[in-house]
Amino acid sequence: MSMASNADQFKQSFREEAREILVDLEAALLELNENAGDKELVGRVFRGLHTIKGSGAMFGFEDLATFTHNLETAFDEVRNGRLEINSELIDLTLAALDQIKAMLEEGAGGAVPADAAACAEILTKVRRLTGPTAHEPAGEKAAPKTAATAGPVREWSIRFAPGPDLMLNGTSPLMLLRELRQLGGLSVKASMAAVPPLSELDPERCYVAWEMVLATAVGRDAIRDVFIFVEDHCELSIELAAGSGVDPAANAAVADATARGLDEQRSQGGGRRTYDKPDNASSLRVPAAKLDQFVDLVGELVTVQARLSELAARRDDPEIAEVSEEIERLTSSLRENSMNIRMLPIRATFEKFRRLVHDLARDLGKDVELTIEGADTELDKTVIDQLSDPLMHLIRNSMDHGIEPRDRRAARGKRPTATIHLSARHSGASVLIGVSDDGGGIDAEAVRSRAVEKGLVAADAQLTESETFALLFQPGFSTAKQVTDVSGRGVGMDVVRQRVDSLRGTIDVASIPGTGTSVTLRLPLTLAIIDGLLVSVGDACFVLPLANTLECIELTRADVERANGKHVANVRGVIVPYIRLREHFNIHTPRPEIEQIMLVETEGGRYGFVVDQVLGDCQTVIKNLGRFYRHVQVVSGATILGNGTVALILDPERLAADAVRLGKRGLLRGHSAAGVASRLGPGGKRESSQTNAA
Amino acid sequence: MGITLTENEALSAIGLEETVDISSAAELKALLVKSLSAGKGVRISLEGAAYLDVTAIQLLWAAEREARGAGVGFVLEGPIPERISAALLDAGFDKFPITECAK
Repeated sequence: MSMASNADQFKQSFREEAREILVDLEAALLELNENAGDKELVGRVFRGLHTIKGSGAMFGFEDLATFTHNLETAFDEVRNGRLEINSELIDLTLAALDQIKAMLEEGAGGAVPADAAACAEILTKVRRLTGPTAHEPAGEKAAPKTAATAGPVREWSIRFAPGPDLMLNGTSPLMLLRELRQLGGLSVKASMAAVPPLSELDPERCYVAWEMVLATAVGRDAIRDVFIFVEDHCELSIELAAGSGVDPAANAAVADATARGLDEQRSQGGGRRTYDKPDNASSLRVPAAKLDQFVDLVGELVTVQARLSELAARRDDPEIAEVSEEIERLTSSLRENSMNIRMLPIRATFEKFRRLVHDLARDLGKDVELTIEGADTELDKTVIDQLSDPLMHLIRNSMDHGIEPRDRRAARGKRPTATIHLSARHSGASVLIGVSDDGGGIDAEAVRSRAVEKGLVAADAQLTESETFALLFQPGFSTAKQVTDVSGRGVGMDVVRQRVDSLRGTIDVASIPGTGTSVTLRLPLTLAIIDGLLVSVGDACFVLPLANTLECIELTRADVERANGKHVANVRGVIVPYIRLREHFNIHTPRPEIEQIMLVETEGGRYGFVVDQVLGDCQTVIKNLGRFYRHVQVVSGATILGNGTVALILDPERLAADAVRLGKRGLLRGHSAAGVASRLGPGGKRESSQTNAA
Repeated sequence: MGITLTENEALSAIGLEETVDISSAAELKALLVKSLSAGKGVRISLEGAAYLDVTAIQLLWAAEREARGAGVGFVLEGPIPERISAALLDAGFDKFPITECAK
């Protein structure tokens, strides 16, 4: 690899690391806004800025390093108690982070370049807050060697007592002492006063404290920098030694020692401390595209493996059967592993909305807090990637239209600070993402009137609440009396619907006037491969997601007669309604004497799906049915079986809801999915094309 | 990295080899506690040691203090390797926890 491509690779690695740090910085700043006195948060912000500055300078992002240095200095002032945290500093730093992001992406195809004027304005304001003395030129801190050799030598008394958990995070106090020694002449005395009796001694804790005197030309900040990553885990005091003055004789010797030390430091690790970063050898950074390619290949392998199993079953050859079973087992493990690699917690997606809520609350003059639940819920990376936009529109809508102005909340006796709650939880093969607020709720009548006005529904249409709220997601629909910068154009909710549709998800809206609104997005856990149960009805095959399936029971003609023709089954004393897929999909083949009921769990309760035969479990590579079938809600995709035929993957939630809806209207008969089945031909073979018989 | 133990009824000889740090501190403590609570004398050999971190140093220091209080022998076997003694001095342990060396 050439040096240029190496440098590019390092830059790219820095960008990726810095992006993560920026996300953490943003979260820490927003928390700090709520808890201004939290020293741990101040330390976190300082360390983040320090790392971006230091690494940025190392990888050639000089402008970024210089800009960040000024912010770092401001937070150093906060750490040292010379500057107080206030909302102005938080907002300035947040604005600065936006500029740092832009600087980071320059040269990497970033869409919005950094705004030089905005950067200058931010720095001017930051300097006004910190005062001119706090800001030494950036180069001075970035190159301590210059400072060390140029300044007068002074003696510093340093006391360092590691806290209980310092050793556990991989820090070696002896390494810190070694690093301190590189700044000048150091005399050290270890104090064993706190070491307990042997039997009471925690072997993984450091009880030793150190009293030191350092003769150096560097200042307090440079000394403190040695302890930057442990400062929150130790007692540290750095004071000028009594009577310390400039010693010209010592000056040259100390400067030499300092320079030697810094040279050594650089040659050892490019200026980075060995404990700067935990050992990351156990994890790898892999481009998402490579991961997608890997999962695609696993998908192909699963399909081929299904063919092999089919072949082995037909040949009736024990040797082939054995190999086939072994490959099936391995493919299953490989699939599970590859899927797990793609699973990510939704935390980062949720956390980034703290900034949006903070900024919107400020712009709209509302007090709003964001609460998060289930941030560790994992879902497929592809789903997570596409969630940001819908969530952003839902939050903007809640903030602008849902949450009332302060005076109205006060008049309603509500808490002055409104809440937006983001939640995530698993439900079978789906994940439920919730966005709720404690605002004014949706005026269903206003929605309906607006829909009539726009010609979306007839004036005499009877709509359920759910159908009324669904109108909110129609293109261009808005009940807002005025368009604001935030929302009101009727575009956002349409985007939500489109994106959720593309993810094969559903949207559920619940609202209580005066109390609040809750929007729940039901999304598939993964878009790639699932465990399924293959069933047949006549010549057609269907796949039911295994995650929803509870058990399989027989349904005889006698059972049907006992229920007086009603679609209910008695399962160990519990009455469970069932949906006969043959009827639902208008499949005109003779019914077998004994049918099978697949019991599935849905949000609406337990349902049975009656099929002819249960063929067995199968790994199901989900293929999109394409735009032509996008309105067929009860089918979430298709898969290619081992014999080359296509099976539709059923969505039990939607199928149950659809059957209930049709049942209520007395329309329980052939569904449009039958059209899909019939277009796919008998047995689902793709080569056939028939018209819908329904 | 390693800790070896050779013992008889009256003495435990503990050898510290290569790096002795937080990862072996619990093991070292267990050996020291076991030996001292059995009233045995303890001999420590640092000849094979390349690096002792602060957890090992404070364990030896605490064990020596306990042995002295109980009137049990606690000695170093052979001289302290130069690399160890230099590192200890740099870290401010001007008198190594174990002052008596067995010849």
